[in-house]
Amino acid sequence: MIEVNNLNFSYTKNPFIEDMNFIVQSGEIFGFLGPSGAGKSTIQKILTGLITTYKGNVKVNNIEVKRHDSSFYENIGVDFEFPSLYEKLTSRENMVFFSSLYKKRQDIDTLLESVGLLKDADKKVSDFSKGMKSRLNFIKALVHDPQLLFLDEPTAGLDPSNSRRMKDIILQQKAMGKTILLTTHNMYDATELCDHVAFIADGKLRALDTPRNLIMSRGAAKVSYTYMCNGKEVRNEALLNSIGNDNMLQKLMQENKLLSIHSSEPTLNDIFVELTGRALQ
Amino acid sequence: MKPLYRSFAMFIKQIFKDSMLFMVCIAVVLTAFFIRFGIPAAEKFLCSYFNKEAILLNYYLLCDLFLALMTPYMFCFASALMMLTEYDENIASFLAVTPVGKKGYVISRLIFPAGIAFIVSVIILSIFSLTEWSVWMIIIICLLTSVSSVIITLFLFSFSHNRVEGMALGKLSGILMLGLPVPFFLTNKFQYLFSFLPSFWIAKLCISENGIYLLLALATSVIWISIIYKKFSRKMI
Repeated sequence: MIEVNNLNFSYTKNPFIEDMNFIVQSGEIFGFLGPSGAGKSTIQKILTGLITTYKGNVKVNNIEVKRHDSSFYENIGVDFEFPSLYEKLTSRENMVFFSSLYKKRQDIDTLLESVGLLKDADKKVSDFSKGMKSRLNFIKALVHDPQLLFLDEPTAGLDPSNSRRMKDIILQQKAMGKTILLTTHNMYDATELCDHVAFIADGKLRALDTPRNLIMSRGAAKVSYTYMCNGKEVRNEALLNSIGNDNMLQKLMQENKLLSIHSSEPTLNDIFVELTGRALQ
Repeated sequence: MKPLYRSFAMFIKQIFKDSMLFMVCIAVVLTAFFIRFGIPAAEKFLCSYFNKEAILLNYYLLCDLFLALMTPYMFCFASALMMLTEYDENIASFLAVTPVGKKGYVISRLIFPAGIAFIVSVIILSIFSLTEWSVWMIIIICLLTSVSSVIITLFLFSFSHNRVEGMALGKLSGILMLGLPVPFFLTNKFQYLFSFLPSFWIAKLCISENGIYLLLALATSVIWISIIYKKFSRKMI
């Protein structure tokens, strides 16, 4: 679906995106993780054909992006981080206009209903809250039922229930066979949604694997437990894969003296810090 | 082509929904009425007051030229402000990733308004001009003023961060019109200090009807457009 070979690009004379290579398979959710300014949005701009002055090869749906024509966008849906909506129009008018630009169209009321905006369909976008605009912006990318979706921070600024709703729609789209490129610095969203995750820092690809492999490759999960000793709470840790050798833990369990016990895996953020020396958030 | 037309139709709809921009477009007609009926009335009054045969008559051609440039200038000013609104609302970058495309967006926001401005200015000049114009001259002058007005759209969009800045810069961009009166008032070589302005060559063309001025008016417009277009294009990404 997407093939990137030896991609190089810079806005200035100094190198920025350097020697980037990756493949996104059809039907997967591929996440770009990195802090602000890492180059995630620039890669998205290259993949969506907004920047065509790159070096190397970038193929989307078997089309070299720098040689795309307008039909290229019939099968691509883009949800930018910031809403791109006509503020003076209602949400329905916005959807009707944007869907009119494509050959294939989905039912607008069904889309509005899917993000809980049907009751606000005739309300002007200028009267919408930030979260409502984000939801409308998201379904705008689905209006022509594209096979490939570029989502930039789709859950940013949403309350937990709407964030859940959006993530469910993303998973639903994946189940329908869509390919999704998710740009985020939210490690929890990436861990939950992505089949593969690429770590981007300073314009370079630092790691690429499944979230599980990335987590497991950086040390086994740990179990931490606490107990009382001489009137004080003591905390101990044991590796999950050698928990049977921890005599203290076994003793405490037999005597029912454990105060608490937790398992803890490293997060994608921990791994990102370890690899790049920088935090995601 | 359908997405392009639909996007342009929405652009026009947005201009009409904006009362200030709508008035900017209407101002052209009001100016035309003022020039057609106000200037001759003023001439009549001044001539009888000062007991002279002609006072403003020698500048009727300048008034016509002002009218010919005013129409595309106002249209392109409205177009630039609407583009800045679309830029603020992130519409510009979104339309670039739809079948409209970046090229389509540029065509629908630069070329189409200039095309409409050309047609309207031909009509206005044909109806409201104070001097006699041949059909070909009307077409050539309106074509040149429309092309030079694209500079206004590019300039305002490229150098303004938002609509408020766009309005402030709009006043500054009036300098581009400054070339029109120069050949009427400066006849020595100092007039060529304004030769970087397309409007200067447009006025020269009208006065002497020499084809070389047509090429110079076109060349200065194209140079301005190509210089500003680089910045415009960078802002569009």
